[in-house]
Amino acid sequence: MTGAEIIVQVLADEKVETIFGYSGGAILPTFDAVFRFNDQHRRADGKSPIPLIVPANEQGAGFMAAGYARASGQVGVAMVTSGPGATNMVTPVRDSMADSVPMVVICGQVPTHAIGTDAFQEAPVAAIMGAVSKHVFLVTDAGRLEATLRTAFELARTGRPGPVVVDIPKDVQNYEGTFAGHGQLPLTGYRHRLQAVVENKLTDEACERFFTMLAESERPLIYAGGGVINANATRDMRHLASDYGIPVTTTLMALGASDTTHPLSLHMLGMHGTAFANYAVEDCDFLIAIGARFDDRVAGDPARFAPNAKNIAHFDVDVSEVSKVKSVNWHHVGVLKRDLADLLAFGKRIRFNKQFSKWHEHIAELKHKHAMNYDRDSELIQPYAVIEEINRLAGGEAIITTGVGQHQMWAAQYFDFKGPRLWLTSGSMGTMGFGLPAAIGAQFAQPSRLVIDIDGDGSMRMNIGELETATTYGLPVKVVVLNNYGDGMVRQWQKLYYKGRMSGSDKSLHRKDFVKAAQADGFEFATKLDRKENLPQTIKAFIEFDGPAFLEIIIDPDAGVYPMVGPGLSYDQMITGDWIESRVAPSDDQPGTSEMF
Amino acid sequence: MRHVISVLLQNEVGALTRMTGLFSSRGYNIDSLNVAPTDDPGVSRVTVVVSGSDAAIAQLNTQLAKLVDVLNIHDMTLGEHFERELVIVKLKINADGLTTITALAADFGADILDDSLDSFTIQLIGRIAEVDAFVDTASGIGKLQAVARGGSVAVSKGEVTLSSYAKHHRLTG
Repeated sequence: MTGAEIIVQVLADEKVETIFGYSGGAILPTFDAVFRFNDQHRRADGKSPIPLIVPANEQGAGFMAAGYARASGQVGVAMVTSGPGATNMVTPVRDSMADSVPMVVICGQVPTHAIGTDAFQEAPVAAIMGAVSKHVFLVTDAGRLEATLRTAFELARTGRPGPVVVDIPKDVQNYEGTFAGHGQLPLTGYRHRLQAVVENKLTDEACERFFTMLAESERPLIYAGGGVINANATRDMRHLASDYGIPVTTTLMALGASDTTHPLSLHMLGMHGTAFANYAVEDCDFLIAIGARFDDRVAGDPARFAPNAKNIAHFDVDVSEVSKVKSVNWHHVGVLKRDLADLLAFGKRIRFNKQFSKWHEHIAELKHKHAMNYDRDSELIQPYAVIEEINRLAGGEAIITTGVGQHQMWAAQYFDFKGPRLWLTSGSMGTMGFGLPAAIGAQFAQPSRLVIDIDGDGSMRMNIGELETATTYGLPVKVVVLNNYGDGMVRQWQKLYYKGRMSGSDKSLHRKDFVKAAQADGFEFATKLDRKENLPQTIKAFIEFDGPAFLEIIIDPDAGVYPMVGPGLSYDQMITGDWIESRVAPSDDQPGTSEMF
Repeated sequence: MRHVISVLLQNEVGALTRMTGLFSSRGYNIDSLNVAPTDDPGVSRVTVVVSGSDAAIAQLNTQLAKLVDVLNIHDMTLGEHFERELVIVKLKINADGLTTITALAADFGADILDDSLDSFTIQLIGRIAEVDAFVDTASGIGKLQAVARGGSVAVSKGEVTLSSYAKHHRLTG
């Protein structure tokens, strides 16, 4: 077998069903091997076993693979050429690292003898990707290609998941060798540490300490993060919540871990969390962090985060997250699904029983009194109303992807999510342009599910080339552009912190015609909505359209994202805007100038 | 506080770059760095000297331990250890200086590698404070031509087999 054939065979063995890739000189042998593999293994229905999906830009391929991985829980695979192909992939790789998304990226590289000569389309991929990925391999020994590639998949999906880059020189792809069909690299240190985590079961003593804290608590709160979804531990976390009546708030990454329509679900916490979730964090006396990392959008001021919590417990798979930001009284690093099951079994054994009915009443009151709200009588189309209308039709069952900015936060706040892997957003990196390619990747992972990209006009511009990818592959993705003629979140900060100087964020004089752009890329349904009275019927027609559909909605350009906890500030300094009731006088506190990120 | 961290690193393409890159990307300066193979040619021992609060360095160590190529980490500063450094100093001296520098070398137990006045070269292996003091004094005797320090190397005292990383980052607590 050639190196290229070995690569494709390992992909097949790893049950890869889709490759997102863009060709080029240094990856040609492997693209050719994919073609031949698909030709030789064509399925009965004529389809390719490993279809190759070609984006407009390599960044698109990366976010498609990431969207695929996020929606399915499987390792996403992207394949690009050397030099610019690989450097265009840097953003999705860093994005996936920051959000712990399992991905294997295969990069062609110039032949071994040409490495370091400033060859055509050469880039130092191992050096660049090493800084942004979970791991990078430069395969210089063709005899180790097979084991390296198999190991890349193992690395991507084990422990805290992440992207792994395999840089493969063209001569290694062309090498002739035998395919062993098994074997991995030793990775002694990694495996040793992983094994320690896997073998670290919850002891009875640890369970007892946990339940003592719960027994001493009157107001316990679960703060669930993306780790719950990555660990496929949604059901177990919900059991912990429902068996003991513990309310749940989730991070941006964990939306859907808790069914947002459940009475004890508080939706999202943090900088733009719901007021009731943030008040619950202020009021709780026992905080149970599960697969969450106290990041700066959640705990802007760590010392004043959950100020009344007498105890904080933390479950994680990554020991480096324990007490990184906020010190905790109890922690456990292990396999979350198993550990939560063991904790519940212990609770049953000791017949743990405690009623938190007063706390539940308090939660219900918070949810009622400080509910999300906006100017419902405005003549302009309010973005919140758009999300509410789409949500009515989607019913918490659709996959929602987003770009980054105000529209992302509105979607996070106003959509319901009944399950995990429905909400795909660039959380930590905050990459504009994520939404459309992620939706395409998600639609490949979940062909029968409704997939909606909620985008902003700024984010849509970033990867607008991928509109064509959606129609090329006949994907029924629904693309919404909430157009407020500019970078809304930037403008919001400029209004709050820069005396309203809209430096570089106003696009009201831009001449972009989004509908024409969508039509040019083959969208048969492409409409602009600018009249409030047409909202329900337009959205209904859009969602029900059988095929790719594009909807531009002209929204109130002054609509803001509320509540808001300023950067570096604590929850008691939260501002709730004009339409959500605040329980303290609005704060005039300004964040420190260096906190403004 | 100053920390001396020993890392056993698998010899892979880019492993050292990934390791040192982690220091800069997490905002730490490396004060000294020494890298050399161990008895196993596939494994290097890296000794890094870095300054920071104990908590910050503990966090840095857990981040280092996430690098796939890292086999083991030991923060020497958390226990008793031996730390030594090699330095080679080259000076241009005059005849008067010769007596002083020879006495200094004898005093510190340094070896004279080259006794020509134009390129008087001395080597010292010692504790960091000794090396600092030696370089400081020697540079006052003649015109300093070169100072080559090898960076700290260290081993823990007594029988320490458990990595301090595992000892100080308990998986349950």
